[in-house]
Amino acid sequence: MFIALRDLKFAKGRFLLMGLVVALVAFLMTFLSGVAAGLIRNNISGLIQLDVTHLSFEYNNNKPSYRNSMIEREMWEGWQALPGVLSAEPMGHTMFGARQMNDAPLDDVVLWGIQPGSFLEPEVLEGEALGRLENGVIISELLVDRGLKLGDKFILDRVLTELEVVGIVGEHTIGHVPIVYTPIRKWQEATYGPPGGPPPGEVLPDILYDFATIIALQVSQDFNQNRMENADMELGTLTIDKVDAYEASSGYIEEVRTVQMIQAFLTVISAVVIGAFFTVWTIQRTKEIGLIKALGGSSAYLLRDALSQVIILMVMGTVVGTSIAIWLGGGIETTGGFFVLDRDTVIASSILLIVAGLIGSALSIRLITRVDPIIALGREQ
Amino acid sequence: MSLVFEHVSLELGDGDQKVKALDDVSGSVSPGELAAVVGPSGVGKSSLLAVCGGLRSPTDGEISINEQSISGLSPAQLTRIRRDYIGFVFQQSNLVPALTSVDQLLLVPSLRGRRPTATDREHALALLAEVDMSHRADRRPDQLSGGERQRVGIARSLMSDPMVLLVDEPTSMLDHARGHAIVELLATRCVEHKVAALMVTHDATMLDSASSVMHIKDGQITQEH
Repeated sequence: MFIALRDLKFAKGRFLLMGLVVALVAFLMTFLSGVAAGLIRNNISGLIQLDVTHLSFEYNNNKPSYRNSMIEREMWEGWQALPGVLSAEPMGHTMFGARQMNDAPLDDVVLWGIQPGSFLEPEVLEGEALGRLENGVIISELLVDRGLKLGDKFILDRVLTELEVVGIVGEHTIGHVPIVYTPIRKWQEATYGPPGGPPPGEVLPDILYDFATIIALQVSQDFNQNRMENADMELGTLTIDKVDAYEASSGYIEEVRTVQMIQAFLTVISAVVIGAFFTVWTIQRTKEIGLIKALGGSSAYLLRDALSQVIILMVMGTVVGTSIAIWLGGGIETTGGFFVLDRDTVIASSILLIVAGLIGSALSIRLITRVDPIIALGREQ
Repeated sequence: MSLVFEHVSLELGDGDQKVKALDDVSGSVSPGELAAVVGPSGVGKSSLLAVCGGLRSPTDGEISINEQSISGLSPAQLTRIRRDYIGFVFQQSNLVPALTSVDQLLLVPSLRGRRPTATDREHALALLAEVDMSHRADRRPDQLSGGERQRVGIARSLMSDPMVLLVDEPTSMLDHARGHAIVELLATRCVEHKVAALMVTHDATMLDSASSVMHIKDGQITQEH
């Protein structure tokens, strides 16, 4: 590092500019990771907080999807009866447009039908649990931002079901749409029953209550994949673990892939820019490299020296860029924007950037090995 | 003898472009001696320097430094020989732009793979004092005159206590008076440090301080005195 450190000091303007480029790329990568994680969390935050190990969908030759799945009572009762299955609860999932009683629109909401008191019911931040009122629901606090509060009633478009807010949870969403936790019987009536409920003096047929969208499962650790597949075959379901179930959320895969592609582009751009900079830098230093070789400097010495220069530049640029991204992202997060960063993501994207820079520069500083010390005597190679 | 070259030939280029830069040249330099190789441009002076310094491998012949042959060594071995036994003074002083005068000298222990110590620094400052450059120890090359750069180059060449000093046209960028002073300085340092120095120059007026002179023409030594 003898020459590397002195070079950094001597050509500080040039290295400062390059450091700024690295910092900018690091900032973009970290910031984008934070936005991506925030966006993804917003897509599936309802699923993330579900205390389940697996979700069972209807097996119908399609990829698991909340929209295309419909399971029957025999299926969830079949799962409930299996040894190793700790809990199995039917769960409904339907998207509705909704409006307040004064006709103010609430936009789309997703009704999740759950058994009151079951492991699927979230803890409320305000209000009470499900069960006291037949049409009492727990809403995502995003709906509070849209004007709802405890005790308010609202109507589902199309089916004209009236619901009353009894509890509020955090930002629970699925596919970026706020979730309304509803007693499953009310969900079944809204989803499969006639608009506005049964005609006066009539009751809805019992068969209505034999359907749901998916089965939420808690299984023991010894309930292995083989047993899972056998159960699926027998019961006509398709069971996937909780993380795989994220992909069933609308737009989740597309969002993740888009963000990953942007990150990949940024990584490649970073490698190319760093590589180009060090190629020009090495070419400009050709005479100096020839001199040092003539004085007895080995290629290994020069490579080590140049590589340490790259590492210093990359680490400092990355630390600066990442720090700014964390600081700015923290501000966004506190104002309720989509931004989540965890330590592992920051470390991973920083290491990825530094490695990309090293790969880009490694190709250029290899030119060092080709410099002939004879040029120190003023001769061409 | 510190430096001996016997029947050394060097061919450059390929096919029709092949040129015999050195043709069966022999000579030797003892410790404390400054041997000058003189001749016009393009007669093989620098080629002789290049083969003696392990920067080119001779086509034929033998080169020995301190009775150890360096002919046939690999590039990596030659690099080590240059690092441990040879000092260079170049035509255009050839200093590293980012380094101060004292750092130019401290680069030498760094090339040997060790962090320069306080003793190295003392040694470097003493050498700069010998060439009258103590007052410019913290200046970079762009803050020095041509003569000052050449003095720093000389001090650097002595930093590793070399057995052999190879000097390439040390006065070409200097006026006559400064050039003369530099060659005298070199001759004095060679005696004091017991170094065998081979200096190539096209300037015949710079030979007063040389212990011996070899005239070279068309790759052959034509006269020696």
